[in-house]
Amino acid sequence: MEQKTTPVLKGGSDPNGIRGLPPYLIIAGLTVLCSIGLFSVVSHVRMMPEAASYEATWVDQAFDGLLKLTIPIFSLVLMTLLFSVVRFRTRPGRPHEEGVRFDRSRGEFVEVLWIAISLVLTVGLAAFGAKEFRLIRGTDQADVDIQVNSSQWSWEFFYPSYNQYASSLILPEGKRVRLLLTSKDVVHSFWVPEFRVKQDALPGKVVKLLFTPSKTGTYQLLCAELCGTEHTIMTARVNVVDAKAFEATMKEESWEGR
Amino acid sequence: MTNLIRGLVSFGVASLAVAFLLARALPREAAASLGYLVGLFAFLIGVGGLAAFQHWLKDKEEEQVHGWQRYFRFTTDHKVIGVQYLVTSLVVFVLAGVMALVIRVELAKPGLQFLSYDTYNTVMGIHGIGMIVVALIAIIGGLGNFSVPLMIGTKDMAFPRLNALSFWILPPAVLLLLSSLVTGGFDFGWTAYPPLSVRGPLGKLFFVLAFISVGFSSIFGGVNFVATISQLRAKGMSLFKMPIFVWSILAAGIIIVLATSVVASALLMILFDRVLGTTFFDPSQGGNVLLYQHLFWFYSHPAVYIMILPAFGVILELLPVYARKPLFAYRLAALSFVAIVVLSFVVWAHHLFTSGMWDALSIPFMVTTELISVPTGVVFLSALGTLWLGKLQLKTPMLFALGFLVNFLIGGLTGIFNADVPTDLHLQDTWFVVAHFHFTIMGGAIFAWFAGIYHWFPKITGKMYNETLGKIHFWLLLIGFNATFIPMFWLGTRGMRRRVADFPPDLASVQLWISLVGLMVVLAVAVFLFNMIRSWVKGESAPSNPWEARTLEWNP
Ligand SMILES: [Cu+2]
Ligand SMILES: [Cu+2]
Repeated sequence: MEQKTTPVLKGGSDPNGIRGLPPYLIIAGLTVLCSIGLFSVVSHVRMMPEAASYEATWVDQAFDGLLKLTIPIFSLVLMTLLFSVVRFRTRPGRPHEEGVRFDRSRGEFVEVLWIAISLVLTVGLAAFGAKEFRLIRGTDQADVDIQVNSSQWSWEFFYPSYNQYASSLILPEGKRVRLLLTSKDVVHSFWVPEFRVKQDALPGKVVKLLFTPSKTGTYQLLCAELCGTEHTIMTARVNVVDAKAFEATMKEESWEGR
Repeated sequence: MTNLIRGLVSFGVASLAVAFLLARALPREAAASLGYLVGLFAFLIGVGGLAAFQHWLKDKEEEQVHGWQRYFRFTTDHKVIGVQYLVTSLVVFVLAGVMALVIRVELAKPGLQFLSYDTYNTVMGIHGIGMIVVALIAIIGGLGNFSVPLMIGTKDMAFPRLNALSFWILPPAVLLLLSSLVTGGFDFGWTAYPPLSVRGPLGKLFFVLAFISVGFSSIFGGVNFVATISQLRAKGMSLFKMPIFVWSILAAGIIIVLATSVVASALLMILFDRVLGTTFFDPSQGGNVLLYQHLFWFYSHPAVYIMILPAFGVILELLPVYARKPLFAYRLAALSFVAIVVLSFVVWAHHLFTSGMWDALSIPFMVTTELISVPTGVVFLSALGTLWLGKLQLKTPMLFALGFLVNFLIGGLTGIFNADVPTDLHLQDTWFVVAHFHFTIMGGAIFAWFAGIYHWFPKITGKMYNETLGKIHFWLLLIGFNATFIPMFWLGTRGMRRRVADFPPDLASVQLWISLVGLMVVLAVAVFLFNMIRSWVKGESAPSNPWEARTLEWNP
């Protein structure tokens, strides 16, 4: 078997192009088209639910950032693949031909370039992630403390500064709340999709979760950690009300009182 | 066949008899555990394991059995064991696939259709752990056992009897797992987080015992591959002359050996908590529930590389054959497998970002996890560089290899969303994760498995498969799979939790779509099975090297 060593990927009259267009130009064009298409799809289908906390805007920003990174990479690799399949396929029934391999130095150049680019992207990605995570976690100061007690398969909330128990979670709009999550039995998880942040509740331990509701409305708290039979229906109502209404409700003597 | 039946009968009789006898004197769970252990040994003796050891003791050659009977008994021939693994994987794949169908019927409409919450949990758990087992054994156990010794020019594996043992542990474990359906089931998915897994019905104990058994089987297999590949290579085959598939099996074998004992110990701790009354995971007695999650994922993240490294190996082995040129960046690809082995051990806590683990740990684990995309990217570089200027022959194995690249590209890139702490706070435990790992495991490992089966089918059976049916299988599966799983990303971001039997009505139309279009996947698998059986029975005979491949196993 003989292996030819042909220099490849030269612009201009590259014999591997289609209709006189060099391959890199075709792939670049297809990549742009594919990216535009995918961006319009993800903005049309609205990936995320409504954002109802300050933290949610950070999470959504991180999510959008990742789309901006991954969609072009996806398009580039997919289009290179498609181009190769279309351009380099052999028709059935043709006599066997051997492919052309890269010459050594060109191959090594591509390898080094590829590793360098992916390393830079990865490090940048991680740096952004770390920064956004710090923004989401913010400070440890809160306006309201709420104890969240989970058990198979229900939620219970206690407001220590008002000495109030409740079976639905009521939150003040624009005030930073600190949830103190715990469990009486197995692992559960506190998740309100509109708030984005999620936190497991562990038995024998109190775990904090701080966030700031930013939009009044009614949402649903979902248990996000498989916890046995009725995990599916381990939900609770969440009401975000404005700060005044929150104070008023808390001071009502009979409010779900016990 | 008689051996297999004898084994199954011995297993059933011995385990039930011992369990019921001991139940008079011991607690129920202890009796059941010991019953299973005795049954396991009875099974191994029944299928002919004892005879193999007698031959070994007397230093005699094993008796040769020819024809299809040899597939149903304890034999040490690596080619036979490879086929046994392949067929067993297919059987478990179909069983776990039926569970997926049940799930899809239940989820076709909002509300509960025909399952109770408990049955749903068990069915979903069996689907999960069943497919995990398939992904763990299909390529290594099946294609690896068959091809690796041939590819490195040795007569058999380093420890042939251990090899047979590692296979024959699986059938009783699978039966035990299935029997949990009638012993109360298990409601903890495939992860068995305590305290949930420490209390409750016998079905949970069965899950734990089955998992530990599969772990042992896996370790035996891993040790064997590492020993075989490092010691028994033909003269002149230095490390960097090994086929890339052999590299991938070596890498996966090293992970198995180093990591599996950790998960086995975590599950043993659950077993001890249940049976012996220890309190490893009971916080009221000073236990720690997060300890389990750390131990579990210390294995179970590397485990995804036990599944996917051999898949990379298959793909990079096949692409050069069907592109008619050598593998591009072979050395770098082999080194990237080594890098993946090393990195895979320092990423486990990316499953714990929302677990209540110390926040400051999240950042380093995010960094290491994202670093894995560098060696994984090399696989794509290697693949694209091999295709470039090739003369591509779009046979079925090649189509599956190309399909793998598309699916795994999606699976890998969506993994970044889970590795990134800010987005994972939202996505953890949602269908986004479900979609992501189906793209890597089903779209990745299973596609690679199919590619490898078609590629080595002429070698294994001496027959050619039907090319038209193969192509129908490919297109049905590629389109059906993507149409089924892509919408799941959207469901996850919109708020669909994992492992729930019901969902809000506004997601109903997408769920119905998934249930309907999922049938394409079922159809594709049916076409595949039909093709395999028909071609094996009455396909035309294959030439000795139909693909003009250059690796040793095709030498006549
Ligand atoms: Cu729960
Ligand atoms: Cu992982």
